[in-house]
Amino acid sequence: MTLPGGVHAETYAQDRALIRTPWQWLWFAAFVAVLLLLPFLRPGGAVGIATVIGITLIAVLGLQLTSGCAGQINMGQSAFMGVGAYAAGALAVHLHWSFLMTIPIGGISAAVFGAVFGLAALRIKGFYLALTTIAAQYIFTFAMLKLPKEWFGQSEGLRMDPAVLGSFAFDTDNRIYYLVLAFAALMTYGAWGLMRSRTGRAFIAVRDNDNAAEVIGINVFYYKTLAFFIGAFYAGVAGALWAYYVRYVQADQFTLWLSVWYVGMLIVGGMGSILGAIVGTVVIRLLQELITVVGPQITDLLPTLGGQFVFAAMNMLLGGLIIVFVIFEPRGLVHRWNIVKESYRIWPFPH
Amino acid sequence: MPDVAAVSESAAMPARSAAPIIRVDGITLRFGGVTALADVSFEIGASEIHAIIGPNGAGKSCTLNCLNGFNLPQQGRLFLREQEITGFAPHRIARLGVGRTFQGLQLFAGLSVVDNLLTGRHLHMKTGALEGFIYRGWAHAEELRERRRVEEIIDFLEIKNIRHKLVGSLSYGLRKRVDLGRALAMDPKVLLMDEPMAGMNLEEKEDIVRFVIDIREALDIPIVIVEHDMHVVMDIADRITVLDWGHVIARGNPQAIKSDPTVIKAYLGAEVRR
Ligand SMILES: Nc1ncnc2c1ncn2[C@@H]1O[C@H](COP(=O)(O)OP(=O)(O)OP(=O)(O)O)[C@@H](O)[C@H]1O
Ligand SMILES: [Mg+2]
Repeated sequence: MTLPGGVHAETYAQDRALIRTPWQWLWFAAFVAVLLLLPFLRPGGAVGIATVIGITLIAVLGLQLTSGCAGQINMGQSAFMGVGAYAAGALAVHLHWSFLMTIPIGGISAAVFGAVFGLAALRIKGFYLALTTIAAQYIFTFAMLKLPKEWFGQSEGLRMDPAVLGSFAFDTDNRIYYLVLAFAALMTYGAWGLMRSRTGRAFIAVRDNDNAAEVIGINVFYYKTLAFFIGAFYAGVAGALWAYYVRYVQADQFTLWLSVWYVGMLIVGGMGSILGAIVGTVVIRLLQELITVVGPQITDLLPTLGGQFVFAAMNMLLGGLIIVFVIFEPRGLVHRWNIVKESYRIWPFPH
Repeated sequence: MPDVAAVSESAAMPARSAAPIIRVDGITLRFGGVTALADVSFEIGASEIHAIIGPNGAGKSCTLNCLNGFNLPQQGRLFLREQEITGFAPHRIARLGVGRTFQGLQLFAGLSVVDNLLTGRHLHMKTGALEGFIYRGWAHAEELRERRRVEEIIDFLEIKNIRHKLVGSLSYGLRKRVDLGRALAMDPKVLLMDEPMAGMNLEEKEDIVRFVIDIREALDIPIVIVEHDMHVVMDIADRITVLDWGHVIARGNPQAIKSDPTVIKAYLGAEVRR
């Protein structure tokens, strides 16, 4: 981490601060203001998109902690999300618990399910770990469709009432947006805290060199399991929020493809950084939204192509973009931005 | 390097000449058909610089690997003070105060120098995942306290100006220094060093030698050092154990080793007799 030019940390506290210059504060304040005022600035579609981005961000942040920071490949994030959604949904539907209870419990349920795959990560790495986490997807789908109908509704899924706080119901797009925003802010703050404290360093140590990590007393087994636990917790919280957003939980909503997209978001944003998770999620989600807008227009212009084909082609383009990143900028947009910033700062005196 | 904690700790230990800190008792280590170590025994006394030497493939790294739990010998036992540590996981042995530096480069490439050293403080820190998530009061205070501790080590190793650099961008010599710093950050009660000077130029070697001597002075801990450079070994070692094909072929002080005919025949050749 390099300090912006001219700023030298006076104290170690400043050294560890996330936001250091007045300009950074200004940007941050403007960003927060836009988020808070969004329903007034751009009511309608934008709020819905922002809500989905917020939920996705929480899941991708979790994946960043597991895969980007602790180095444990996870292709099951969407299934973990599903576990959180079903757990929160079942508690809300059958027991009428408050979302203040069901969302954290949804997170914990997913975390426990995810930690099982952390146990596997002790013995297996890389490709085989990826395969094992894909199994999570099948276990999840199978279980939700086969477990007693009174629990999770089998193929019918669960229909939910809106989240309520006292007499206030989160039953409009704007209201659920603020709920998601609050959770997304909390989970982002938490991820940042984790990554600049002891646990985050231990994750990176395990990722970069597990032998050296053991030698300085880091219990690699524990931290691999913890990485899955925390990452899946994030997924579970995201899933629970999703349940309250669409008010309907079904196994089909949590597919392997979603997990693959999450990995793509990390790659585009940048592995191992919280900012990377944010940038990747926003960029890819917005591009996906663009496809849903542009796709029908192209289909109108060239009806011979057919809507199916247009959507498939555009998704392939987006997939291709991710592959381009893997090849040309595997460290992601945030890294590229840092390089640009760095060269700007020392201009006109390059190295 | 001022270190009150470590010094008072060692003051509480029995008198210097008493029981050894490390006792290796007849360990044999095989990989399939290869016998890497055959009935190796030695002891390491308090605040002793103990060199392990021998030709390539003699089993020096394997000896250290057994000591910190990476390799489990098929026979024999290992003791740290009175406690048997045979079969302990590496992180458990670390908790008992065994620090180690590596042959080659084994840093955390994605972390800055400061953060690499802070990982070395892992066992002395308490912030768990939940406190980290909240990152208020306690977690922050601990970060600052440990950072101060790490800055002492940064001062000692003279790496102030690179403290915020990612270790991947540093020269080999500096990375080895960071490796040493990370081990020191553990406040080790024993330090194992595997070829800390391999691949260094004369100046860099002199720095490391100075650090090793200073560490022993300041912390009063035993240091086990695997090294190929005979001039360095003869200069700094109090005692030497010589390995060849997994066997201990000699042990003693540098004078004795220099003139030991088995050693000369097996390893040193004319070079050291000069
Ligand atoms: N994991 C392993 N699997 C198989 N054989 C091994 C393994 N580790 C070490 N050996 C063998 O054990 C013997 C001793 O190796 P060791 O690394 O201890 O040598 P060394 O004395 O440190 O040599 P060098 O000076 O080259 O570092 C060698 O023959 C080596 O090939
Ligand atoms: Mg070796």
